[in-house]
Amino acid sequence: MLHVTRHAAAMAGLTTLLTFSTAQAASVATAHGEVEVPDAPERVVTLHEGALDAALAVEVTPVGAVTTRGGDGVARYIEAYLEEETRPAIVGVVREVNLEAVLAERPDLILASPQLSDEQYRLLSKIAPTVVPEARKLAPDNWLHEARLFGEALGREEALEKAITRVEERAAAVAEAVEEAGVGGSANLVRWMPQGPLVMSDALFSSAMLAAAGLEVTDAGLVNQGGVHSDPLSLENLSRLEGDWLFLATLNEEGDQALKAARKSPAFARLPVVKSDRVVPVDGQLWTSASGPLAAQAILDDIEAALLP
Amino acid sequence: MMLLLVLLAAMVIVSLMLGAGEVTPGRALAVLAGHGDDEATFVVGSLRAPRTLIGIFVGISLGLAGALLQAVSRNPLAEPGLLGVSAGAAFAVGVALWLGASAATLRIAVGQVGALLGCLAVLSVVRLRGMGGDPVRLVLAGAAFSALLASLTSLLLLFDQRTADEIRFWVVGSLAGRRLEDLLAILPSLGLALGIIVVIARPLAALALGERVASGLGHHPGRVRLLVVLAVALMVGAATAVAGPIAFVGLVVPFAARALVGPDIRRALWICLLLGPLMVLAADIISRLVVAPSELPIGVLTALIGAPVLVAVVRARRLPTL
Repeated sequence: MLHVTRHAAAMAGLTTLLTFSTAQAASVATAHGEVEVPDAPERVVTLHEGALDAALAVEVTPVGAVTTRGGDGVARYIEAYLEEETRPAIVGVVREVNLEAVLAERPDLILASPQLSDEQYRLLSKIAPTVVPEARKLAPDNWLHEARLFGEALGREEALEKAITRVEERAAAVAEAVEEAGVGGSANLVRWMPQGPLVMSDALFSSAMLAAAGLEVTDAGLVNQGGVHSDPLSLENLSRLEGDWLFLATLNEEGDQALKAARKSPAFARLPVVKSDRVVPVDGQLWTSASGPLAAQAILDDIEAALLP
Repeated sequence: MMLLLVLLAAMVIVSLMLGAGEVTPGRALAVLAGHGDDEATFVVGSLRAPRTLIGIFVGISLGLAGALLQAVSRNPLAEPGLLGVSAGAAFAVGVALWLGASAATLRIAVGQVGALLGCLAVLSVVRLRGMGGDPVRLVLAGAAFSALLASLTSLLLLFDQRTADEIRFWVVGSLAGRRLEDLLAILPSLGLALGIIVVIARPLAALALGERVASGLGHHPGRVRLLVVLAVALMVGAATAVAGPIAFVGLVVPFAARALVGPDIRRALWICLLLGPLMVLAADIISRLVVAPSELPIGVLTALIGAPVLVAVVRARRLPTL
């Protein structure tokens, strides 16, 4: 630990020098007050899936990133935006950042999650200016605030606005096609566990995408207000999932396999939505963990593929 | 005895009547009377009945295993959850899931081997012979070993998300979503364990009088202990494989049984046979009701009931020696 601190102190000195030498440093409003960021950061480390997404959306490839929740590397949908030679180094998992690995990347900007602890912030901000978005109550537009802050910190507000506009246009197009095809209606988003389902809140990022695509997302009143998702729902209450579509997120790689496991549960098999074959297995890495403009596009891809064959 | 039987029957009916869902006791009773609606028939028949049946068998296993462990170790604090038996089974099943196993029968065999190894490991640490003198040492060894295995199990979870998904609720113990096939898979080993108990009940009671007396009566203490450990591993491994580790049932049930009928293991075992299911069903019913429409894992509730009893036993001025 002492070792790290010494390094951190040295780095802090170095960054101070760097900050002064940069002609016009901008300042952004973060959860820890105004933070001076370099004008054109070159070595960015993202400690949050949404930050990695936003950075790639404005064509900044971070030098370091954390793994997707429960995975060994970045989320699968992110792979399409990475090139082999500039692939970010993995500097930890979402909940546990490896400070020495961050230090080793010699970042000039760190983009972190709203959930970053104060203690971690103190250490990280000694390494490089650290941008932490304000923690907000779960809401469908949280990702927009976060992405915009990251875009500002990267000095690429315009590029980010364009990415958001592209998402909005795409969502509108999907919504229109869904309406024309007459396949809209209500939808539930559920994460399937072997012992039963977790109903996901209608305030989640992916729920917002479903809504933008013209589906009416409900949590069937099963999710406590303010929580991310409910505790495992009693199988007895599964029949309350009355949506026309059921998006079934799993963290397993093979969605079909999870769906097969779910079908073995008699309570699941007798749902009308299962009988009418309107269950859409989706990737939990993307649907229940990611956020950002690129994730939005990937989710809209999924919706389009499922509803508009 | 009769009273307990009546209580257990009543508990079974209550277990079929109450749930986290919208099927009310009235609708459930209609199903039992043979003219329920579709939804209620499904909920009672396919969801509540299996978990009730499994609860009964888990309760029998844990209650009997606790009584046997306490008798053989002459230690009123011995319990599958405290002695590393459940932790051993849980860890073994975790490893099996991690390696990709999902067949119920395989899980049970693995759980039993894990329970056996866990039990043997703890007993060998404090040595089978002469641990009656120091009940606390046995519990400490068991607690340390359980903690070690639990941390290894969580290590597995960190490595692999699929295992984490499967285990997340299972590590605290729950009866929700279990199927009748799971129960069928454990029945043979429970039968075997009950057979062993019938054979060793008398020698075990003799052992309570002391090694010499038991040997004098023609019993083989070493062989008896080994059979007890085997029966315990069979039962706890099976129960854990089906429902996950459920703590404190094996502690509280024999404790209550002794309070009712005294220290004779043969009479206590009969009482445990009824008290075990009674406690598990009661905990499961509460677990369905308190956080509806979600479910609380039953392990949380048995711990809530069991922990104060453990404290009470330890605080009692004279720790009863068995």
